[in-house]
Amino acid sequence: MSLPSATTPAGETLAINVTVNGTLLSLNVEPRHSLADVIREDISLTGTHLGCEHGVCGACTILLDGEPSRACLMLGVQADGADVVTIEGLANNDGTMHPVQQAMYEAMSFQCAFCTPGFLMSTIALLRDNPSPSEVEIREGLSGNLCRCTGYQSIVDGVETAIRLIASNSAGIDPVGEPT
Amino acid sequence: MKNPPFNYHRPASVDEALALLTEHGDEAKVLAGGQSLLPIMALRLGRPEHVIDIGAIDELKSISVGGGITIGAMVRHAEAEKSAEVAEQTPLITAALPYVGHRAIRNRGTVVGSIAHADGAAEMPAVCLAIGATMHIASSTQTRQVAAADFFQGFFTTSIEANELLTAVHFPAQSTSAGSTVVEISRRHSDYAMCGLACMIDAPDGTIVSAALSFFGVASAAVRATEAEAALVGKAPNNETFAAAATIVSNTLAPDDDIHATAAYRRHIAGVLTRRGLAEATSQIGIRA
Amino acid sequence: MTDIPDRQTSGLGFVGQRVKRVEDERFLIGEGQFVADLNPKGVLHAAFLRSPFAHATLNSIDVSTAAALPGVARVFTAAELNAVTNSFPPLFMIEGLYTPLYKCMSEDKVRHIGDPVALVLAESRYIAEDALELIEVEYHELQATGTIDQALAPGREQLWDRADGNILGDISADFGDVATIFADADRVITRTFNCPRQTNQPMETRGSVVIVDPATGHLEIHNTSQAPHFLKWAVAGLLVNDGAFRNLSRFARNKDRRKAFSAAAKAFVSTNKQKLLEQDPAGQKSQMKKDMSFLRAQARMAMGLLASNDYPTVKAGDIGGAFGSKGSVSREDIALAAAARQLGTSVQWIEDRVENLLDGGQAREERFTVSLAVDNDGTLKGMKVDAVLDGGAYASFPVSAAVTVLLWKLYMPGPYDFKAFELNAKIVATNKGKVVPYRGPWANETWMRERMLDVVAKELDISAADIRLKNVIREENMPAAFLTGPTLDETMSVAKTLDRALEMVDFDQLEQDKAAAEARGHRLGLGISSYHEAAPGPPNFFSSAQPGSDMFLHEDGRAEIQADGRIVMYTSQSPHGQSHQTTYKQVAADEFGVAMEDIEIVWGDTDRTQFSFLGTGASRGGPLGAGVMRMTARELRNQVVKVAADMLEAAKEDIEIVNGNIHVVGVPTRGTTYADVAAKVASDQAVSTGPVFKEEMKYEGVGNGGWSVATHIAWVDIDLETGQVEIPRYLVVEDCGPIINPGIVDGQVRGGVAQGIGAVFYERHHYDDNANLLSTTYMDYLIPTAMEIPKIEIEHMETLTKGENDARGVGEGGMIGAPAALTNAVSDALGVDVLEQHLPPYRLLELAGIISS
Repeated sequence: MSLPSATTPAGETLAINVTVNGTLLSLNVEPRHSLADVIREDISLTGTHLGCEHGVCGACTILLDGEPSRACLMLGVQADGADVVTIEGLANNDGTMHPVQQAMYEAMSFQCAFCTPGFLMSTIALLRDNPSPSEVEIREGLSGNLCRCTGYQSIVDGVETAIRLIASNSAGIDPVGEPT
Repeated sequence: MKNPPFNYHRPASVDEALALLTEHGDEAKVLAGGQSLLPIMALRLGRPEHVIDIGAIDELKSISVGGGITIGAMVRHAEAEKSAEVAEQTPLITAALPYVGHRAIRNRGTVVGSIAHADGAAEMPAVCLAIGATMHIASSTQTRQVAAADFFQGFFTTSIEANELLTAVHFPAQSTSAGSTVVEISRRHSDYAMCGLACMIDAPDGTIVSAALSFFGVASAAVRATEAEAALVGKAPNNETFAAAATIVSNTLAPDDDIHATAAYRRHIAGVLTRRGLAEATSQIGIRA
Repeated sequence: MTDIPDRQTSGLGFVGQRVKRVEDERFLIGEGQFVADLNPKGVLHAAFLRSPFAHATLNSIDVSTAAALPGVARVFTAAELNAVTNSFPPLFMIEGLYTPLYKCMSEDKVRHIGDPVALVLAESRYIAEDALELIEVEYHELQATGTIDQALAPGREQLWDRADGNILGDISADFGDVATIFADADRVITRTFNCPRQTNQPMETRGSVVIVDPATGHLEIHNTSQAPHFLKWAVAGLLVNDGAFRNLSRFARNKDRRKAFSAAAKAFVSTNKQKLLEQDPAGQKSQMKKDMSFLRAQARMAMGLLASNDYPTVKAGDIGGAFGSKGSVSREDIALAAAARQLGTSVQWIEDRVENLLDGGQAREERFTVSLAVDNDGTLKGMKVDAVLDGGAYASFPVSAAVTVLLWKLYMPGPYDFKAFELNAKIVATNKGKVVPYRGPWANETWMRERMLDVVAKELDISAADIRLKNVIREENMPAAFLTGPTLDETMSVAKTLDRALEMVDFDQLEQDKAAAEARGHRLGLGISSYHEAAPGPPNFFSSAQPGSDMFLHEDGRAEIQADGRIVMYTSQSPHGQSHQTTYKQVAADEFGVAMEDIEIVWGDTDRTQFSFLGTGASRGGPLGAGVMRMTARELRNQVVKVAADMLEAAKEDIEIVNGNIHVVGVPTRGTTYADVAAKVASDQAVSTGPVFKEEMKYEGVGNGGWSVATHIAWVDIDLETGQVEIPRYLVVEDCGPIINPGIVDGQVRGGVAQGIGAVFYERHHYDDNANLLSTTYMDYLIPTAMEIPKIEIEHMETLTKGENDARGVGEGGMIGAPAALTNAVSDALGVDVLEQHLPPYRLLELAGIISS
């Protein structure tokens, strides 16, 4: 889809259309607002966290058109026309957890859980593209997300648990969750 | 850490973008992937009056083959990383891209944006120097082509004028008798390198006919180790040759200290990387059909 | 990966099981409630203008342009907020310590990069940051102090007028006959060790949302606090109550309040009579000698506290980590509460990462010159340490750097049988961010001592293992008074962990691996470290540090059964990643004989929970927090059983509770339930809601040793060409007593070790010689990723004692043991004395003699 040209003076808003967790939303956003702030404040989905706001910690990672992206390193207006999935969009319609969420639960992957949204998104993308990664590939796939609590081993265990859960579920991994 | 206010422009064509650049010139910054620009703005280290978002310009989104590879200004790192054409024509780019940030950064950041940003610690400017890339630069009144060697002008500085846009970068195809690689040493996985090397070696008949040693992370801009390159030519690609080149590299580079590494360390690992990089590049010769 | 048995619904026997985390049910679906998630409608967003200079006087400040910016509600200068707040007073006072008083903002002088000088409140954080750029401040730069050497240099510009030579503390202690022991020993070996600055860096920054009730002016503060009750009292005491004296007379005339207050005071004095008498007044004298105004500051706080009818409510919901940094009351917390009270409007401050790196809490910049008196056979005799702690600019409140020195005094000789020990410690003021407790705040004593043991072993040509085995205090010599005072019993089981850890090392294989590494141009080394920590320690632990200081350290608990049968447990802990909800439900469910989901845990709300000075900290959540849960649950269960026995017409001794079924032993079909018993009591009392059973308890632990110990062994492989490091194996043998939940204990150990790995190889909070902070982003303060942290192997030893709730704390130990094990391994690999804690690749190559320094 091609977007039309647009100009928005400082302090004013631009109308954008963005699909968030399966729902098409029309929003008026100030261009300087980050996508993370748009998600957290304009859409009130606070499961996406801001840990550093300069693209290093990965807590704000979302899926943008299926690919993990830093919501703090995007303007909200850059998501015009895009499909966004946040942690709130992962669970199934019946309320059961996504296999990656379930696996992280089984493995007791997290502690304070502030980093959790980003790790879930990175894991989902990793396993979609590589359903049976080695431990090094798992660690590489998680290396864009900082966790200060766990020493990562429990999160790696969670990914390994997810591999087994997904393999035992013939439906495989649903990269963007089901629309809610 | 919130962006300062700016006037936002989202042109739908290159012409529109160039018109905006003509009008706003010095007060404007071009936003492509934003992975460098947005943190700079959030930290309020940069405060452009106008941001020109080229993300909606479809004509900038393609990779094209012809005498090598031409990468448009809106091609994301991840797309180039996965491109079979890029791997075929210019394997050095394919080798470099996994080192660029993390996956989430590569999904948004653009190859050309990274080149225009001209960070002396980044991989792509060094790759441009190693390969001899050509910059396609446009303004409302003209288009021009600039060789990589003339394009990078020091600390975050290039020859792009305020009214111009780097629309694409052309990389000549790698010689079939050449091998290339990128090696680097960083503090953590995927950090900016304390020292990195994009290197290429062409040795059709067991003798080196040309070599490129392009370092990053050791100066305000990417830099070619020309003396060491010259010393390689005419020699057999073996460990002895590489060690001699490494010594020249360590003696000729003049890196600075920073909080992550001393100048002495950088000079030392530049030599180590020279040996390792050349050996690996040599092992790549002939791998491409 | 091991298979994970799921005991979530078994109904009994949760303690000791790897029960899945209750917290994850909300966290994994994005429904945690962190402070930034609250974002109430209409709240004003705060941003602080912070000093760009490390040391300067302020000549003028002009906020008019900023205040006129559309969207800005108010700009407060430091002077305006300081006028309505009291000084932070020192709470810990020790002989030889002087703690300068300071206010929530800096109006005359700034003392570090990031020192707050103005506060903007605006419609959005974006606009608030715009306004910061419009404030004009004229500074006059002063000479800044960026290092310990500079601080100690004669004639240096002082941070504080009354802190002569920038010395805030000069504290000494000695045990045993130091002079004789040193004179008689075969030799004395001396080294100086340096550790650079680190920072706690939880993934969630600090934050505070102050909601003002428009009708009453009551403040409800949602904060990332590890100690919400202390924050509540601090806010009440530090906001100026100008009507203090007027209110006081009103208070004096109010018979009920007067009575309540004097009753509470009497109760406190009678309970703590002995401890109050024990308290050493020398610390107060030290403080007064330097600064009499602290008495006035204390009086103002006390008057305000007494006069107030309305203390704020503090609520701490989900907190994204802290590692000690959120136990302090921040200057920003006080400024924000004062601003909310002034404006009568709700305000919020969500700290950004740069602010957090500037002043969210820093630690560990310390230097030790240590001399060990030893005999040639490896017997350790005496230890003398000159220590200097870089305290930064402002003392954190209430737990300041002085507490680290107190703990050094107790811990430094470690689990070894030294006969004499002398400590001379200085705390110096520098132009840097504040020092806070960081996971094992005293930990560098372990690093320094364990590193020194290897130095000594090398000089005496004995092995690192043998010098420890020879000197470690063994169970057969317990109970014993440790050289520095606290009692050691069998829970100080370092010897057991050391024996076991050494058993798990194949030393022949190690030699082969070392040779193989060398053949690849690498060097491989092995490092050992052992430590003991009070978690919570024996009853005389804190009084050994400072007489009377254990007065505030008990844990209160409360449990209720509501009329509808719901069991509600209240904790004064403020969890931030330690999974209290899960472990406390495990403990309480076992006591009540119900499923975990039948227990509700209430935390973090000062209106609902009981006072706690420390909240969550000091490894107390397991021993004291879970302990009081267990004891209050048991009492409440007994109350229920009594009623149930009547209902079932049986003796209460014959009642058992299984899966919530309260019945006579052997007759499960004729049982009753908590709901039925509660309904009966409610009906008897003619109530329909509220608690029908209630128990409150003060808990001081089980009265035994309370030590938590471990031995760490690290293998470190160094590429001699590049200085890059790998950790092929990392082993922890720990003993924190009986484990409530092994999944959670393992996580605590690994997380601590990861921070230790960070400290040694990646993390340095880097100030230059002019006290400019160079690591102001996550591009420069390097928290290790999953690629840098290896698998960490853990072996548990669960030494039991006679206590009922014998769990001991485990949160801090990983970080205490790791730096020593890692630097010892580096020393072993390179064959050099490693005298510094931080070892980036360039430094490793310098130590190896590969590059020049």
